[in-house]
Amino acid sequence: MRPLPSFNLHRPKTLREALELLQSLEGARPIAGGTDLLILLRDGAIQAKHLVDLGQVGELRYIREADDVIHIGSMTKHSQLIRSELIAEKASVLRESAMSTGSIQTRNRGTVGGNLCNASPAADTAPPLLVLDAKAKISSMKDNRIIPLAVLFAGPKINSLSPDELLTEIAFRVPPANSGASFHKLGRRRSVTLAVVNAAAYLALEGDLCKEARVALGSVAPTPLRMTPVEERLEGRKLSKRLINEASSECRDLVDPVDDVRASAEYRRDMACVLTGRALTDAWKRARGNLP
Amino acid sequence: MRITFQLNGKRIVCETAQNRTLLDLLRVDLGLTSVKKGCEEGECGSCTVLLDGMPVNSCLVLAPQVEGSRVTTVEGLEDDDLMVALRRAFMEDGAIQCGFCTPGMLISAYALLSENPNPTEDEVKTAIEGNLCRCTGYVKIIEAILDAAERMPVE
Repeated sequence: MRPLPSFNLHRPKTLREALELLQSLEGARPIAGGTDLLILLRDGAIQAKHLVDLGQVGELRYIREADDVIHIGSMTKHSQLIRSELIAEKASVLRESAMSTGSIQTRNRGTVGGNLCNASPAADTAPPLLVLDAKAKISSMKDNRIIPLAVLFAGPKINSLSPDELLTEIAFRVPPANSGASFHKLGRRRSVTLAVVNAAAYLALEGDLCKEARVALGSVAPTPLRMTPVEERLEGRKLSKRLINEASSECRDLVDPVDDVRASAEYRRDMACVLTGRALTDAWKRARGNLP
Repeated sequence: MRITFQLNGKRIVCETAQNRTLLDLLRVDLGLTSVKKGCEEGECGSCTVLLDGMPVNSCLVLAPQVEGSRVTTVEGLEDDDLMVALRRAFMEDGAIQCGFCTPGMLISAYALLSENPNPTEDEVKTAIEGNLCRCTGYVKIIEAILDAAERMPVE
């Protein structure tokens, strides 16, 4: 029996009301799905005098495509990502990661915006969105700004937003036809588990050559991270199993993992390379149409 | 604060605190003891209820957040054909040991079969991934859900 600390709960119906509350209330925090936040509040890990519940802000819940860009409202639930035909068809890597997040119960509450703003180094939706080169739309009463998603992550469980700001949208270009992407997650078990390491890879081909490569890892550094040197190693070259293995092994020196209850830092270093290799291999197969 | 929502098919108006969880509202204040209090952090699934038809952990929902929504617990599905079939299969297959996880398991199984009347074993496993059974009776629970699916008339 651990009661939640007391707070004032506000339930705005529009984005404007939500932003006004965040600007005017001292010590306010937005709450999205609450699957992380309520636990942190109960444990006393964070404090909030006011909670601004975004659950009724319907205008932040959408998945749509316009001019070859996919836009996802920050309050879109994991279960909605999984059920979306648009995501299944054009960004299945994001679907794969959403399916591996938490349990059915938490996926029915948890949102993509909450998953990202919670800024866990292990956030499952982060690596796929990083390799899709997603941009984050940040809104406040003052203005809207668009930042590369990586800029949202300031440290473990720390996002870069100021208290009056909200992440309102994630957007990325529809991947071209000759491209493929894949997500791999290693946990201590298959279901309802935080990643020991998670990895996403994206490859775009031009004939035999790798035109563009993007790799991102989670749970191996204070924030989810792009592996730029791995990408540079692949771009402009003819892809092969060997090249993928060589490039993947570079992750070992790029990551900065911690020892914790889930795994040792040394194991994470090894697995960063292994999972990158697997994700790149599957992305390559998908780019060539050899894997659903 | 005063909230209004639909609980097991009936409109409910009640007073609750802003920091009350849906779990405490249902179990402690409204006496629906099928909703079990286990981990209180969304890991065990024993407090699973349907919120607008979707299984959620009621320990991670604030009571005021169900304003205007539909909440369903095992008690509200007493005469529901699918729930009757699930209950019978759980009993006949011995899918109950201590019984603590059973209501949550039944709700998750009910949500699965409502949407997918003929699931594979893997689909059943995924459907109950968020429900822990500390007696570790998973094999019989999975069998019972598959049996209930088989016994339901095809519509």
